[in-house]
Amino acid sequence: MKIILLIITWIIFTFTTNAQSADGFAVDNFFKALGTPVNPKVQVSWNRYYTNEGLHEIYQDMIREYPDLVRLESIGKSFEGRDLWLLTVTNHTSTPHQQKPAFWIDGSIHANEIQATEVSLYTAWYLVENYQKNRFITDLLDEKVFYILPVMNPDGRHNFMRKPNTAHSSRGGMITVDDDGDGEYGEDGFDDLNGDGHITMMRRRAPHGQWREDQDDPRRMTRVKQGEFGEWELLGYEGIDRDGDGMVNEDRKDGYYDPNRDWGWNWQPDYVQRGAYHYPFSLPETRAVRDFIMDHPNIAGAQTYHNTGGMILRGPGTAKDEQYYLREDINVYDALGDLGEKLIPGYNYLTLHKDLYTVYGGQIDWLHLMRGIFTFTNELFTSYMYFNETPQRGWFGSRSADVYLFDKHLLFSDAFVPWEDFDHPQYGSIQIGGFKKNFGRINPGFMLEQDAHRNMAFTLYHAHHTPKLEIVEFTAKDLGSGLQEVIAVVANTRLIPTHAGVDLKFQIERPNYISLQGARVLAGMTVINRDLNLVQEQINNPSVIQIDNIPGMSSVTIKWIVEGGNNISVKVDSPKGGIITESL
Amino acid sequence: MQSQVVYPVQYIFIALFLLQINFSTAAIRTTNQNNNEQDYQDHNQLSQRLANLSKNHPSLANLQSLTKTDGSKDIWLLTIGKGDIANKPALAVVGGVEGDHLLGSELAVQFAEKLLNDPAFESERDLLNEISFYIFPDMSPDAREQYFMPIRYERRGNARPTNLDRDGKVGEDPYDDLNGDGLITMMRIKDPTGKWMRHPDDERIMVRARPEKGEKGNYLLFTEGLDQDKDGQFNEDGEEGVFFNRNFTFNYPVFTTGTGAHAVSEKESRAIADFLFQAKNVFAVITFGPANNLTKPLTYNDKDANTKIFTGWKEHDIKINQQLSNLYKTHVGKQAPKAEPGQAGDFFQWAYFHYGRFSFSTQGWSLPETENDESDTPASQELNLIRWAEDHDVSDIFVPWQSIDHPDFPGKEVEVGGIAPFVMKNPPYTMVDSIALKHASFILEMAALRPKIDLVNIETEKLGTNLHRITAEVMNTGSFPTASQSGEVIRWVQKTVLRINLNESQNLVSGKPVEVLGAIRGHSALKRSWLIRGKGSLNIRVGSEASGFREVQISL
Repeated sequence: MKIILLIITWIIFTFTTNAQSADGFAVDNFFKALGTPVNPKVQVSWNRYYTNEGLHEIYQDMIREYPDLVRLESIGKSFEGRDLWLLTVTNHTSTPHQQKPAFWIDGSIHANEIQATEVSLYTAWYLVENYQKNRFITDLLDEKVFYILPVMNPDGRHNFMRKPNTAHSSRGGMITVDDDGDGEYGEDGFDDLNGDGHITMMRRRAPHGQWREDQDDPRRMTRVKQGEFGEWELLGYEGIDRDGDGMVNEDRKDGYYDPNRDWGWNWQPDYVQRGAYHYPFSLPETRAVRDFIMDHPNIAGAQTYHNTGGMILRGPGTAKDEQYYLREDINVYDALGDLGEKLIPGYNYLTLHKDLYTVYGGQIDWLHLMRGIFTFTNELFTSYMYFNETPQRGWFGSRSADVYLFDKHLLFSDAFVPWEDFDHPQYGSIQIGGFKKNFGRINPGFMLEQDAHRNMAFTLYHAHHTPKLEIVEFTAKDLGSGLQEVIAVVANTRLIPTHAGVDLKFQIERPNYISLQGARVLAGMTVINRDLNLVQEQINNPSVIQIDNIPGMSSVTIKWIVEGGNNISVKVDSPKGGIITESL
Repeated sequence: MQSQVVYPVQYIFIALFLLQINFSTAAIRTTNQNNNEQDYQDHNQLSQRLANLSKNHPSLANLQSLTKTDGSKDIWLLTIGKGDIANKPALAVVGGVEGDHLLGSELAVQFAEKLLNDPAFESERDLLNEISFYIFPDMSPDAREQYFMPIRYERRGNARPTNLDRDGKVGEDPYDDLNGDGLITMMRIKDPTGKWMRHPDDERIMVRARPEKGEKGNYLLFTEGLDQDKDGQFNEDGEEGVFFNRNFTFNYPVFTTGTGAHAVSEKESRAIADFLFQAKNVFAVITFGPANNLTKPLTYNDKDANTKIFTGWKEHDIKINQQLSNLYKTHVGKQAPKAEPGQAGDFFQWAYFHYGRFSFSTQGWSLPETENDESDTPASQELNLIRWAEDHDVSDIFVPWQSIDHPDFPGKEVEVGGIAPFVMKNPPYTMVDSIALKHASFILEMAALRPKIDLVNIETEKLGTNLHRITAEVMNTGSFPTASQSGEVIRWVQKTVLRINLNESQNLVSGKPVEVLGAIRGHSALKRSWLIRGKGSLNIRVGSEASGFREVQISL
């Protein structure tokens, strides 16, 4: 009996204090798959997508189950009045989150890039479910804070999921603009002629057409060779010419503008940068994000999720701004990005303007160049993932035939709306069919969790490397005649500096303050070379030494000459490195 | 209302100040009281004048507050017009783009007053049937108010707490009124390392020594104040916030003094941009500010006008600028102020390059250029101002140098004095009325050149039973084009739309039912035709908000 009690006690003790080491045993009816919580308190299926309402239920579950780890707030309203929900994930029972190095994550600034939201939310969920179960995650939530905005563009998400669309709409928000310039607004959008919620293609039999059905997969249209005729002509996306101007689908309710061309660095108008709205932060969603980020100077790193193409992008968005991406900053990006390529097979670490296209007024440049925040944009999902083969040229980087093959054998044709007859008021007898809006850019269900996890792993590595400041030495030496020499050595044990090179260049954020308390400070100085006694004295206000930067994997040494004092302590106050103190 | 309460308190402060310090020279203005018609007026007084216009002309004038600044001052928009204002051309008149340019706001308000009240403009008021005016009299009310405060200095920034010198601290080193005269002037410190010297022609004036001419400096020169944060700079971070006229997107000067966190970051700049973007009827903007493209038109530069991000005016727009400049000179004549280019991030250039409208700007007044001086002594605007003031019997221009003890320069000879704030950029108030009259008549004649759309030479030709060809010319009978060339490029400028609306029994055999037209130059036309099958009436409608609309009914 005693032995049984002892065993029970041992089991309880083990489970409550060191659960990780006991996961060789099943819990309830579940046996752990490594790297994933075995029986999470918040149950989420990571093989489907959530509407704004569905997301909100998950947020509510998270704050109910993990009140000490997650806080939920609305940081603003969208154009149509939806809340912009932000999760603040950290150990809220210790240091206030404003005093911890912070990491920003957002998803779905482009609404049709919907999995950006699930990847952001997977990250929040994974962090809370693994706190005090996994050492790395526990340290992250104790030391850092994550500000996670799963949906920056809820209006567009609502429209994408609940209204007929293609895979490419709606990208921006729901402000209606006059796309065709005729003075009428949103008068000729898509028409979901077959009522399936997908805007697919229209084709018509034509004796002199340029298209024919593919021999291997007749769903697929292929262009005929030079000098031949096919049996079909293609008529574009599903729609009718509603305003009789000879154009189809040319002025939608979700007008063409791009929230990711609405940011403050090197903003240019629409004729230079297609998609720019009126001026930087002229959209309510980007303005709310700006306000939050400017109110939180502790944000040192950021990830903004997009699709598609398997890219880990850094700035700059324009060739002209290469001059502001300084070598020391690029070294940090390279160290992170190179590992990212390894962690997410099929993804490439690239520079936006060189490897993708030029972007003026993009979010990535505002974050790096105007806020000094080390930022990546990951373009989620890649056609590499169809067959784990390096993408070829063609539709979204894959051979068109492979896409049909993937759909046929792995999705069992779930991605395709079969061609069906339709009587069109303007084109007459046509057929409607083609790939669904949730194919091509968005992960099929069975591929979502892995992509989310790998991207999260890269992002957590990035977050881990936001500055971590430690007082590695704090000593005093008696100099006689009542004077003491006090030395403090403050190290940054991670890759990201307290101030990016661009931050120092533009003096974006205030310096770090290293202050001595508890004694009368007669002189204070930064020690440049301790052995040779090279110092830089700060004559004005020497008790608070201003340190412009504590570089990554490096340290600074401060020396004070003080008189008297007891309980002498040092405080390091760094905008991006947090606040730490130590006493003699 | 606010400053009426505050004023007596200000007097007490000033009086206390005067008692405490050893005050010797007499010729200095001792208070900043403004005597209504004798001097420029503060925000409350301007607001009252605007409210009066709206009250006395309810059918013509409407006053609205677009926003309140961080300093709790209204950004006023006075709309003058009648009828369907949104669908006929409008001119925007903007003042106070720089807080230290008191004249600009006054010219904007007086334009409204003269248009609505002055018997001389009786006949011009008929224009209001066809054109409207959006008047934004004061875009920098927080800064402008500094003229009326106990310590007067030339301020450009709004009331947003700002770290102007980017050292991480906000407002830690403001001006200090060391001689207690209520004015921030200069201070000169005798010092062998100084680069400044007294002007050989007038010892009151400080000029930079020219070593190449054998001159030696013996003074340091700073604005009046203490180095409160001991960083070696004087008054580099006071209460000023963001400058309206440095906060716009064209050629935005990122991370420089007064430009804000990013372009269009301020309530003032957002309020006017948001209003103007939805006001599709505005065809031109007139700014009273430091730039001037009216005394001399801008010059055409092929490269600047045609690079991808163009930075020079387009060729045909330059021609309109030339026309307007000629008109300006007929009204303002020899007193035309000096031509000045725009500045990075300013409102005047934004209006052309990013808002896509014709944009004209003038200071209204500038210190007249002096005759070419043959002497070898250094050129000095300050000296010119003093001489001009003497010739024109203008007083209170100069604060005599007065010795003070300065804690940052112990044991050194320090004097405070120099040109009074505001007088370099603003004429004495007594001159304003005649300047305002000339500018009002210029604006009204300019307004009459507005674009005006018409349909002319409409012909109906019967080709057979129930088959007609209609031909018409879309003509701009005004002088201004229907859009500037920059406006043809800017997406948010509404283009001219030509639309034929058929009845249900008709159909279009040939021709476009809707066509978005390019800009039509002044006194020019475009010909279009339609082939129509069917009978009965139809209508053709053409135009844009900025050139007006024209609609004709045709019966087949």
